[in-house]
Amino acid sequence: MKLTKRSFVAGLALLAVMGAPAIAQDYPTKPIEIIVPSSAGGSTDTTARIFAEVAESKFDGFKFVVNNIDGSGGQKGFEAISRAAPDGYTIGLVFTPQLVAHIASGRAKYTLDNFHVMGNTADAPEIVVVPKDSKIKTLADLAEAAKGGDLTVAVNGIGSDDFLAAKAFEALVGVTFNLLPTKGSTEQKAAILGGHVDASFMNLSQMEAQHKAGDATIIAILTDKRNDLVPDVPTGVEGGYDVQMRATRGFVAPAGVPADIQTKLDEVFAAVMADATFQDKAKASSIYLLEMNGPDYTAYLQKLQADTQKVFDAAPW
Amino acid sequence: MEYLAVVFAPHSLLSIIIGTIAGVVIGAMPGLTATMAVGLLVPFTYTMDPVLGLMLLGGIYSGAMYGGSIPAILLNTPGTPAAVATAIEGYPMSRQGRGRLALKISVIASFVGGMFSVLILLMFAPFLAKQALHFGPAETFLLALMGLAGIVSIADEETSLLKALLAGVLGMIIAIVGTDSMSGSLRYTMGSIELIDGIDFMPALIGLFSMIQMLEIAGQRESMQIDASVLKQAQKSEPMPKGIWKYMALGSGTGTVVGILPGEGATIAAFLSYNFSKRLSKTKAMFGKGAPEGIAAAESGNNGCVGGSLVPTLTLGIPGNSVAAALMGAFIIHGMIPGPDLFAVHADKTYPFIYSLFIANIVFLITGISVAPYLARIALIPPAIMVPVISAFAILGSYSLKQSVFDVYLMIGFAFFGLFLKKLGYSLEALILGLILGPIAEHGFSQGMIIGKGSPWIFFASPIAKVMWVIIILLLLPPLIAHGKRMLRGAARVDR
Repeated sequence: MKLTKRSFVAGLALLAVMGAPAIAQDYPTKPIEIIVPSSAGGSTDTTARIFAEVAESKFDGFKFVVNNIDGSGGQKGFEAISRAAPDGYTIGLVFTPQLVAHIASGRAKYTLDNFHVMGNTADAPEIVVVPKDSKIKTLADLAEAAKGGDLTVAVNGIGSDDFLAAKAFEALVGVTFNLLPTKGSTEQKAAILGGHVDASFMNLSQMEAQHKAGDATIIAILTDKRNDLVPDVPTGVEGGYDVQMRATRGFVAPAGVPADIQTKLDEVFAAVMADATFQDKAKASSIYLLEMNGPDYTAYLQKLQADTQKVFDAAPW
Repeated sequence: MEYLAVVFAPHSLLSIIIGTIAGVVIGAMPGLTATMAVGLLVPFTYTMDPVLGLMLLGGIYSGAMYGGSIPAILLNTPGTPAAVATAIEGYPMSRQGRGRLALKISVIASFVGGMFSVLILLMFAPFLAKQALHFGPAETFLLALMGLAGIVSIADEETSLLKALLAGVLGMIIAIVGTDSMSGSLRYTMGSIELIDGIDFMPALIGLFSMIQMLEIAGQRESMQIDASVLKQAQKSEPMPKGIWKYMALGSGTGTVVGILPGEGATIAAFLSYNFSKRLSKTKAMFGKGAPEGIAAAESGNNGCVGGSLVPTLTLGIPGNSVAAALMGAFIIHGMIPGPDLFAVHADKTYPFIYSLFIANIVFLITGISVAPYLARIALIPPAIMVPVISAFAILGSYSLKQSVFDVYLMIGFAFFGLFLKKLGYSLEALILGLILGPIAEHGFSQGMIIGKGSPWIFFASPIAKVMWVIIILLLLPPLIAHGKRMLRGAARVDR
């Protein structure tokens, strides 16, 4: 099975190489594939599709095809990007912390060196949310309440951004949560709104509306600055708890793309990020843009990988 | 009233009709799902008028839920997992030349379930959503148990209770493969990345239903002669069986309630409705051999989920299932954040959308009724043509869901494995129940134990849980008593 798939991919790569000699002058001669390692219709997928739409309108001759390779926490898609022919006709939209979590757990067949990092597009700030009638009002209350060790806290699956943030908080304060892994934000929302758990680590976009409607309370946002969407919510650092976490979504290409083609791709990336239409469309879809250039994002990924490795080594999953 | 005018504008009607018919086709193709279709179309609706875009997506959702029953009845290939119970009763009916009636019942039941659930959505959404929040992981576990109770009632004169239970446990064991959601560790994936998410239901279902059927037909020594009387029968239009409405009402209610619960889907709704109808039916022996009541309950059950699932989606922003989640994306993209605002600030868009779902139900009703006589003839195609065509569809359907060749092998593996079990007298229905409901039960149980901090008392604590236990016992007792009687009779016979 593996053999056939690999030879199939190799065959495709061969075709791609033969069909399109990598010359920057007439690049691109065919559509560029964007591998999205999550399912169609999700936030990551929408980011890629809006990006493709704007890039096509700004650059003549550029066509993009989105290919959703979802499942296994993005691992399948990440591996497909790392294996793709480095000819500039395949790029991918990766997301953290899953990208580095698979490396930390030793399951990934890639390392960060297998990618040329183009830059980050969007992020999802991590928040801590409690049910509306909760006695917990601040992170200090949360730390205090968790001392007995029986405070139930919901996170998205093991190895997710929520999980890593909760683990970082545990390590900082020296407590242990009664952690409830869920299958995603739907379960987390239902658990918080129904009062089945005491708190939940989530992404801002998942609870912003409920917070504003008064159905739940966001007690802290775990980023360096407050967020314009919820200006009343203090950061973790303000309360004296230096825990920072965000899910990021950035573009990468397989390592080894010819330099002139890679420069062109990086240029497309920068131009789309600066485009007003792109920014408006992202905002309408509740996608928070956070631009980081290639080197900055690479550094971010490396640090995140080191941090995640520590969490994994302490309590492997 | 002005909202109704919006719905009946030509543009709106066109969107609804296109969406619904496309939905029926998508639902009818194994391998294409409503979630996929809605998800892919959401970014496109960005440039559309919000109301028209939502109507289109709502049409797809309603249509696809019904569409899954068509191949289930005609080809024994459920287009969606929610149509499995329909296949169990519908396919035997079409083999008996009653395919036309089966199709008619399924479309009318889908219509009744859909209309009822949308009516509930329109009238009681905010109140019901609040109630649904009391339903936690512990109750989810009990809901899955209710579905699994169906395994016991599969046992009859032909299948022993032991074999039904063994098959059910086998299904659950197969479902263990994949990532353990509680610890993140991998179970029996044998280093294969394909198995990290576990075994996908669709290839398994296609293998266990349609492919098995083809293997059996192909394995017959002499080619089956199509009974001429069956042919004649198929041309006739049979009247609706008496009392079928009772089962549709049962399914509509069950489907709507299950749909409202956050995270529960049409599959469990269809199984539960089917199981309830089996308990209530006076002709229990007909189940599994072509009982119209089963189709009526299962189809009204899964379509009842459509309106039901939108209750928590629109009022709380908690999608009732994966299609509703994709649909929620379309609301958000147009700045319509789910919550009370949807029924106040955005009422001019939300209400026309809800009304449009009624029209969508009418559209697929008319479509279904008018094509049924033509579709019913598919079941009469001779095996020499049928086997290769269905086999090709089975392979295509398994592959296209995730563009995975692995899933094709999986489907073929399930077909041979299933055939082997069937020859030994094990119940495949029990296997499927275990496969689909096992993981839901496990997830609910694990989460319940964590929330209960290690004490199983949580499964009995809430009033909802207590009521659910009573229902589970009511579902279990009659088949167990019947089983006991069979045992006694068997013992008496041996004595003589």
